[in-house]
Parts: sequence; C-alpha cells; structure tokens
Amino acid sequence: MTAKDGRKTILRIENLTKEFGHFTAINNVSLDIIDGEFFTIVGPSGSGKSTMLRILAGLERPTAGKVYIRDEVMNDVPANLRPTSMVFQSLALFNHKTVGQNIEFSQKMKGVGAKARRERCLEMMAMVHLPEDFVNKPITQCSGGERQRVALARALASDPDILFFDEPLSAMDFRLRKLLEVEFKDLHRRAKKTFVYITHSLEEAMIMSDRIAILRAGEVVQVGTPDEIYTTPNSKFVSEFMGEINTLEVERGKNGRFDCPQIGHSVKVANAPKDFDRGYLIIRPESVRFLKRKTDAENQATGILFNEYALGSRVQYHVKSAETTFIVERLREDAYQGNVDDEVMIGWDAADGILVSD
Amino acid sequence: MFSETKPWMRNTIYAWTAAVVVFIYIPIVVIIMASFVKSRFFRLPVRAWETKWYEEALTANLMHQLHLTSFYIAGSVAILSVILGFFGALAFARYEWKGRHLYQKLLMVPIFFPQAVLGLALLLWFTFLGIIPTWHTAIIAHLVWIAPIVTLVISIQVYGYDTAQEEAAFDLGANRFQVLREVTLPALAPGLLSGALFAFLLSWVNFSLSTYTTGADNTVTEWLYAKMIVGYTPLVPALGALSVYGSIIILVVGYLVYRARARSKAASS
Repeated sequence: MTAKDGRKTILRIENLTKEFGHFTAINNVSLDIIDGEFFTIVGPSGSGKSTMLRILAGLERPTAGKVYIRDEVMNDVPANLRPTSMVFQSLALFNHKTVGQNIEFSQKMKGVGAKARRERCLEMMAMVHLPEDFVNKPITQCSGGERQRVALARALASDPDILFFDEPLSAMDFRLRKLLEVEFKDLHRRAKKTFVYITHSLEEAMIMSDRIAILRAGEVVQVGTPDEIYTTPNSKFVSEFMGEINTLEVERGKNGRFDCPQIGHSVKVANAPKDFDRGYLIIRPESVRFLKRKTDAENQATGILFNEYALGSRVQYHVKSAETTFIVERLREDAYQGNVDDEVMIGWDAADGILVSD
Repeated sequence: MFSETKPWMRNTIYAWTAAVVVFIYIPIVVIIMASFVKSRFFRLPVRAWETKWYEEALTANLMHQLHLTSFYIAGSVAILSVILGFFGALAFARYEWKGRHLYQKLLMVPIFFPQAVLGLALLLWFTFLGIIPTWHTAIIAHLVWIAPIVTLVISIQVYGYDTAQEEAAFDLGANRFQVLREVTLPALAPGLLSGALFAFLLSWVNFSLSTYTTGADNTVTEWLYAKMIVGYTPLVPALGALSVYGSIIILVVGYLVYRARARSKAASS
C-alpha cells in the first residue's frame, strides 16, 4: 500500500464499524495513516474517537471492518501482540512501581535482562527530558508534567511502530498543556515514529499534526492538513469546531449574489460552486475589517460595536448588526480607533467567504 | 469561619481525649495486674505478686494445644477469606454484571446476623449433613461471617484503583498472568494485607461461632470462657495478657521494619 506521494501506509482502517447495542459509535470509517506522520483524530465528546483508538490498539473489537498494520490484518491480534503502544488519558502509570520500573515494563515482559533494560530506560528518559536520577523515584512523588513524560517514555521503550495518544493533555493546566504540545511535536520528529493522537481540541491538533481527521457522530467528515482544514473547511460543523467564526445563512439570489437575511442584504461570494443553492457563508474573524468608506471592501455591514477583548497580540470586537453578531479580530497595531457603542461599518472581500453545507 | 480557640476549650478537649484513652486502656492494665496476683482472686489493693501463672501459661501442654487450634483456625480463615475476598471484591466493586446489586446486598446479610444464631444454624446444618464438628468446621463457620467483611475491606482498595493500569500492562506486552502478577496483585496488596490481618484477628477473638462449631476441640476464647464460669485462676488473665504482649511485639516489630524500609528507600533515591 502506497500513498500518492510514494510514502507507505502504515495503518489502514477499512469500513470500520462499532456498535454498542443499538448505538453506533463508529459508522463505516475508512482512513489511511502514513508511516511516520503525526495524525490526529479530532471530535467532540461522544464522537467515537476514544472507541476508535481502543479498536486500533486492540483493546476493543470492531463490529465490522478491518484494521491493517503494514498490510497485515490486525483484527484478531490482541493488544499485547500488536506493534503499538498507547499513552492513556489517565496515563495509567503503575503507582506501586518507580519511574524506572514503569519505563522498563515492556522490556521486562519481553524477558530482556536487567542491565539492558536499564540502559534502554535511561535512553528513553533522556529522550523525554527526564533527569537520570529520577529512575528510582516513586511515581506517587512525580508532578503532573513528570508523570506525562514517564508515560511517554514507557510507551516509547517498547519500540512500537505506532504510538497512540488518548487525550493525554486534557487534564493538564493551560501552561503545561502548551509546553507539552510543543514537546510532543518535537518528540515526534526525534523519535521517527507514527503518532496517532486523539483530542477534542482542534487548536491542539492544528499545532502538532501533519494531518487531521475530523470525526462527527462516528463518521469522518473531513481529512486534511491543518492548512487545508483551516482554509477550506467542508462544512459548518468543521468551521465552527475550529473556534469562533462568523456563520451567515445564505441562499442563492440574483446576479450571482447570495441573499443573507441576517444582515438584510445580499453578499458577493467568489468561486461559488454551481450547484450551491442554500447553506452557510463562513467568514474568519481576521478577514473582517473596519471600513472608512463603503468601497473599501466588496461586502459591507453596519452595526454597533458593543464590546472589545484584548487577546494579546490581537484584539477581538463584537459588532451587533441586524440579526447577527460579527466577530472581528485585528492585530494590535491595526486596532479600531474609537469607542465601544460606536456605530461602525465593517466589511470583507468576496474571496474571504467560504460556502459550506451543514 | 471559626473564632479562635479559647484556653478552656482546648483544656476541655485535652481532658476528654485523656478520659477516652484511659477508659480504653484501663481494662488492659487491670488484666495485666490480675495476671500477676498471688491470691486466687483479684482484689485491690494487691498484697502479693507472683509470675507462676505465666509459667503455666507458657509451659502447659493444654495451653499449647489451645493456641495451636486458635492459630490453625485463624490462619486458615485469613488465607481462605483473602482468596475469596479478592475475587469477591472484583465482582463487588469492579465489574458491572447482571445481579451485581443483589449480590452486594446478599453479601452483607451474614455480617448483620446475630452470631450466636448463625453458630447454632451452622451446627444444625453440619449435623444434618452428617459432618462431625471439629476445628475444621469452625473454619467454615468463621468464613461465613468473616469472608464478607474481608470482601468489603478489599473492595475499598478496588474502588480506588485505576483499572486502566491493567490495560496499559496488556498494551505493553504482558499476558493475563503477568498482568495479575505485575499489576493487579501489587496494586491491591495493601487491601489484601489489611483484609488478612482483619480476618486473622476477628477469627482469633471469636467466641460465639467457635463455641457451636469446634466440637470437641477448644480455642483460646472457648477455654477462657469455660474457666470464667468454673474454676477461675489468674491463669485466665495471664493468658489474656500474653495476647496483649504478643500484639505489642508485632506492632513494634512492624514499625521498626517500616522505618528501616522507609530509610533505605530515602537513601537510594
């Protein structure tokens, strides 16, 4: 199995379905994950992403469909015999063992001698930036960040072809999460392994991943690079999942324009698909700007600036216009010169709007 | 939220605490005093002391026999109830299965049953089955009452244990047996140990069940009771006091071992 650009597929998911009684957690999903990539599956809670990961790891059996690793069917191979390992959401560290004993576990199970095990352990600890003298530290005395690194080192020590991550950062505080996101990406480059990561945060996925699959109610709705997902979301679900965004209901009108009842007049959209009749127009907050004259942008709306929020390097504005509220984001040096409660004119160009279905 | 503690409040708390502690320990002190009395009965003030009752308690064949019987029963009960309780606690606290709630309730019932009634019921049942009661049947009788308690003690440990650890071990290449040996048993070890201790102690001091179900064999508690009824001598408190000394020695040794281990751990890390 080879992908278009010649890189090999390491993990193939073919028509995977998982049912729990009458509930379908995963519905006919097919995906190809390429050797060495950082692949993230994103979805809200209940979208089936955890179930998917558990099936891939061999902790759960699919109802239908097949999982291949390097062209070999894995359906009947239990987790302990798969060339994969998992970093769990709870980390699932062995609390009664030391840092070293945790990391050496997989090697011990393979019957590797104590000396070789310790060598491998120290190598892994260096890889995840754990100081060497932590080797005899009890897990119960480790901090959150240290535990996270032990879990990583433990999963890496078994030398798996694929590493699975089940939302390992979801319980971390903001600063630690940001730090570890960067470390994960960096580790991925150094370890030269395939990472399959699941999270409910598209923002987190964007930072780390080579490719992202977005899961909704057990179905894959879009697969692409972070750039593709960001610039060309294929549905309202994907675009809104990414965070704050302007969504306007639109319908095909006269002269190739689209009617938008929420702002009370029609708008111009570039590259509208011929068969698109009604749906949503997506406009990024950073694509909307304040206008001095009507001719400064191809589309305009007027409204009341009713709040502004400092976001660090950017400033966010909420503008109430007819039956909608626009979110506008400008860089700090390009901030709006005026006051809250001003009547303002905002606008965007035809090329900045994306038409999507539900 | 709280106003500052006034001296009289603190003094009252100290006095109350001291009263409770004295109340708990006075009977033990009395037993120890009674075991050294020269006269046959214990009367204050004590006029003469002696240690001959200890000689008898430590050397008499009968005493050895009593302790051995109690020890065999308590030891067997401890081992068997931990084995039963381990699997019972997994069913109780971990797995969701049909009938689990009924099981949880049924398991509790023997604990609340009056022990004398339970002992009698068991004796009748053994007789009906044609089994002659000996210390072996007492083990079964003790288990009926103690195994549920041990199951509960171990369940507390099971509730507080992240079962994802077992999946992690499995994912890292361990087979079922290795998961049990490397993860489940060590993680639950504190619960298993306290369960075993509990079982041993409850069995050692049990009288109501033993009196019905040991048949011709006698445990320490049965003998103490019989001696209280007919033919009291200071041998009775001497025997009781020996148990107290035994407990103190076990506690002190346990503490020293714990401290030594904590020190060697601190030194190595």
